[in-house]
Amino acid sequence: MAATIVARGNVSGLENKDFEMLAVPLLDGLYNFARWLSGDADEARDLVQETFVKSLKGFSSFREGTNFRAWMYRILRNTFLTSRTGLERRNTQQEDEEGLAEISISQETPEVALIRRANTELVQAAIAELPPAFREVILLADLEEMKYQEIAEALDIPIGTVMSRLARARKQLREYIIAVPGNKRIVGAK
Amino acid sequence: MKSCEWREKIGLYVDGELEPAADQAFTGHLQSCAECSAAVLEQQELKKAVRVAAKRFSAPPELYASVRRQISPKESARPWLRWSAIAASTVLLAVVSFAWLSRSSASGATVGQLIDQHVIMLASANPYDVISEDRHTVKPWFQGKLPFTFNLPELAADSPFKLKGGKLVYAQHSPGAELVYQVRQHKISVFIFQARDVRGEPAAGNQTFVVNAWQQGGLQYYIVTDAAREDADRLRTLLQDANRS
Repeated sequence: MAATIVARGNVSGLENKDFEMLAVPLLDGLYNFARWLSGDADEARDLVQETFVKSLKGFSSFREGTNFRAWMYRILRNTFLTSRTGLERRNTQQEDEEGLAEISISQETPEVALIRRANTELVQAAIAELPPAFREVILLADLEEMKYQEIAEALDIPIGTVMSRLARARKQLREYIIAVPGNKRIVGAK
Repeated sequence: MKSCEWREKIGLYVDGELEPAADQAFTGHLQSCAECSAAVLEQQELKKAVRVAAKRFSAPPELYASVRRQISPKESARPWLRWSAIAASTVLLAVVSFAWLSRSSASGATVGQLIDQHVIMLASANPYDVISEDRHTVKPWFQGKLPFTFNLPELAADSPFKLKGGKLVYAQHSPGAELVYQVRQHKISVFIFQARDVRGEPAAGNQTFVVNAWQQGGLQYYIVTDAAREDADRLRTLLQDANRS
């Protein structure tokens, strides 16, 4: 893709055009992520716009071969964290970090069918219930299908933290889905 | 119950994060461990559920437009032109929306979006992702960007139609191609999506734009233009011939 642009020889437009081709396909995913982070359509829109402006400015410092997508998500998230909503979140984040060492996947019999039949609204509610630090990890892993390394780069946390947050996020989602009244009855009846 | 040594690797396995050798060994282990295989299945279901539910919000088309304006290299060349274009497009959009809303029902969502997209293209300082009059340049540009392919008609030298370029667009959360042709002083947008991704709708238009829609080979085509209806029909025939297998 980049080769055809180089062939045209337009050096001054090269970087911007490259950036556009790399970045615009990420816009929808970034916007979705921004909505989940901020919980607000206008704020998400501003975050995405600011992310594109910042990343275009910093594009010359972006090293080829490093992960562009993780870089974009990182800029979006940092932009969010310095926003008003983000600052509020930082002040309440402390509790999410406690007890991260003690992780084990639940030993009880899995209720695969319950998860399978859970409707989209229920799962969305479960995601919304997650502490933000867990929510962003699971969105990047399961929706954006990022590798752990990518997530670690995007969120600026160690890989071990990615894994433990992911495990906890899934545990909590699972419990939420299985614990809703309709589903509980099914568990009890079994 | 004795805890299985593999238990803590379940997340890594489900996320495809194990080394190939360990991954293979884990797969073998699943044959003999009911506990782990049930847990893996559950985690996979959970992942799938999250993937579906988390894709909740789509970026509005005007956000695409404004981001493109922001990052376009030509952006600051002639700001007054840009602003007048925005103002003109806003007025036009309002007129179109009004004309549209006043005559259509809920099923007009896609066509309405595409008319908007066409107007955004008309007003944009940077209307194409790929600029070329050569179909052998425009078509390959979409490769890898769309989950389908299509053919573009070969235009005779004396054809009134000229290919101007193409652009990646979204409607109802699905990617598609926008191809822009020129006929005399008018622009024509041809939109192509996978038929299962968008609801097919009768060819409808409004007072301002001609809309021509059809399905062919599993793809949904739309033509949106302010050119004459005959022009839209002729371009449609050319596209249909090019995509006949």
